[in-house]
Amino acid sequence: MLWKNTYNEFIKILAKPRSYIGLAALTLLILIILFAMKADGRMYISFVTASFEQTLSFNGNILNGNLIAFIILQMLIVHIPLLVALVTGDLLSGEAAMGTLRMLLTKPISRSQVVFSKLIAAAVYTFILVIWMGFLALVVGRWVFGTGDLIVLNSDGLVILNYEDILWRYGLAFLVAYLALMTIATLSIAFSAFADNSIGPIVSTMAVIILFTIIGTLDVSVFDHVKPWLFTTHMASWRSFFSDPVPWSAIWDSICILLAHNILFVAVAVFKFKRKDITS
Amino acid sequence: MKYILFVFALFSAALSLAQDPNELVKAVRLKIAKVKDYSADVHIKAQVPMIKIDEVDAKVFYKVPDQMKVESKGIAILPKQGLGDLNNFLTNEKAYTCALNGTKMLGEVKTAVVSVLPLTDNTDVILVKLWIDPSRDLILKSQITSKSNGTLDISYFYGAQAKYGLPYKMIFTIDVKKFKLPKSVAADLHQNKKKPKPTDGPQNGTIILQMSNYKINQGISDAQFNN
Amino acid sequence: MEQQAIIEVKGLQKSFGSFEAVKNVSFTVNKGDVFGFLGPNGAGKSTTMRCMLSLIKPNAGDIRIFGKNLFEERNAILAKVGSIVEKPDFYKYLSALKNLEIFARVSGAQVSQKEIYETLDFVGLLGREKDKVGGFSHGMRQRLGIAQTLLHQPELIILDEPTTGLDPQGIIEVRDLILRLKNEQNKTVILSSHQLAEIELVANRMVIINKGQTIIEGSVAELMNAQETLLHIELVQNSQGAAALIQEILPQVKVQVSSPKTLELSIEKKHISNLNNKLVQAGFEIVALEPKRKLEDFFIQMTQA
Repeated sequence: MLWKNTYNEFIKILAKPRSYIGLAALTLLILIILFAMKADGRMYISFVTASFEQTLSFNGNILNGNLIAFIILQMLIVHIPLLVALVTGDLLSGEAAMGTLRMLLTKPISRSQVVFSKLIAAAVYTFILVIWMGFLALVVGRWVFGTGDLIVLNSDGLVILNYEDILWRYGLAFLVAYLALMTIATLSIAFSAFADNSIGPIVSTMAVIILFTIIGTLDVSVFDHVKPWLFTTHMASWRSFFSDPVPWSAIWDSICILLAHNILFVAVAVFKFKRKDITS
Repeated sequence: MKYILFVFALFSAALSLAQDPNELVKAVRLKIAKVKDYSADVHIKAQVPMIKIDEVDAKVFYKVPDQMKVESKGIAILPKQGLGDLNNFLTNEKAYTCALNGTKMLGEVKTAVVSVLPLTDNTDVILVKLWIDPSRDLILKSQITSKSNGTLDISYFYGAQAKYGLPYKMIFTIDVKKFKLPKSVAADLHQNKKKPKPTDGPQNGTIILQMSNYKINQGISDAQFNN
Repeated sequence: MEQQAIIEVKGLQKSFGSFEAVKNVSFTVNKGDVFGFLGPNGAGKSTTMRCMLSLIKPNAGDIRIFGKNLFEERNAILAKVGSIVEKPDFYKYLSALKNLEIFARVSGAQVSQKEIYETLDFVGLLGREKDKVGGFSHGMRQRLGIAQTLLHQPELIILDEPTTGLDPQGIIEVRDLILRLKNEQNKTVILSSHQLAEIELVANRMVIINKGQTIIEGSVAELMNAQETLLHIELVQNSQGAAALIQEILPQVKVQVSSPKTLELSIEKKHISNLNNKLVQAGFEIVALEPKRKLEDFFIQMTQA
């Protein structure tokens, strides 16, 4: 029954126009960034390298597809959660609002199976978003800008990574970014289990992300003990793969914390949904 | 025999030191002027605070009067000045004046320390100090102080191409005090961990260039320097 | 022969916060019944129906369907139940066929494409299966809803207010469908309504609930006949004389003369035939003798008791 309903979920997601808003928005955003970088990418880079370039000269193809992909990932990681929540926040509550949840739950399928089938569908949708982003950023980026060493600005300076040493970093970075986005998906599904309308869980998810991000960036010592436990702190963990050496233990910590959040959110969603009176 | 050699060495050194600093610089310049063009493989090893980069292989091309190009597959970091700029600066002998600042031992070699001062204010260079081996008319060390870049030290090591004044190895010591990271770096993870501020670290970085496979005066078309 | 109970609801109770939606509802539905679930708006019908489909968890009480406890064997029970609660809602962005396929897939039975088309035919939607449900009229959705309840050949069909919002034509169609389900497919049907007339036309048994409590349960015919009806009598002339005679025969009945030719009185059904004979024997020429059921009166009487 789980897989049958998962199949149903795919049909629903495929037929819903809002599912394509995310992909279309992503495509448009990336194309705009690619165009902007093609037109004025040097300026963008010199903003980072300006103080170094008084003394040093950077030779070679700096503005290459690898850097473009990195810039795109960095820019979009703030916005993609909205695109994910737009679909996943609607999964339970959207059906409640439509009335179809009432229909579905009078069928011989358990409520946890309903949540899990929606979770699987959400996971696949999010994966497609990430893969699509990766394709546009890396494949199209490399096609337009060529390949080359990747110059990355971290908080402790510039790291220049050999072009032959990059693909595996992107592979793992996309996986961790995916895990981060799954955290958003599960959070919005958890909210979705509480609501009977679509917009509430989407807005709530974004509100939580904004709130946690602000707490994370506030340089106030009161929050120092909280920050490491906020999932938003670890959403940029994919970036660590572009450090040299790669801080494996820090990344592992982030993965664990993100996984823990995923499990927690799913548990909350199942717990609430199983006990929910369907009055919609 | 050894004794004779030693005396000869002393004598020649004394003779050289007696020379006019302008003559010393001129001798160096003339040696360099023999090179109309060259290309060489260069292995670059940069150890610069706040920049992490692997060692890189590149190819360098030069053609008189001032065409210079570094070709690398990946990104190569080089000092902004020093690779050809010093030679270019020295070429125009009317633009500067020289003064002898005594001698100094660099390793085993006794060098004449020559200060080269530009005659006009409109150059970026404020002062150039050269450590010249008078016996071979080679610059063993230079120190360029400029308005924009602070002080840049370069040590030169010569091998087979010494007769053209071309080193097989150069060590640049650069000043990194001016290095700044833009503040708006995207949210970096693990911000809580106290990291040493860049200014806490070393103030100097080195870039080591190792040249090989020199091809000198074999003709390089201008097209090579386009782009 | 003892009837086989399909649904047994006992002492059902459900509160939402401080609001007690269902206080004490009990009834039994037998196999083959078309069972009316009657009550005014807000009586607790919908909450009871939702409890019967495990959409809402009751605070107390017992629901047994097919002899099994609903909350222990939910999936096994629901596999044999088809239902529409409140109104049938569908994925508007999908076609009727896709919607039915989706619900068939989770119905617990293997439903073939042929069966889906047969069901569409049964509810009269064949030919419209590729159309998006978003463009369907209320009546078409209601029929699609019924199709959805039938896909997996359920033994029990639960319909919550199936005619709400339908035009007269739609109401007749749905009523027809329910009767066909009983007559052609021998299904047990339970339908709720706040309209007595609707229940009376299709149901054989019914329960009336009000303010969350069972008021009365029994056979529709018995319940209806036990009640007084308004009898309207039209004569050729002399309604006054007729009234006097009726008063003699049934002194407790209050007779109202509305015109020289017409009169009205409240009377139990069983007395009508006797009264008719007496009037004819006394020489009164009767043009019409029309029992007018006092629907509202009956309902109010029952629900206010």
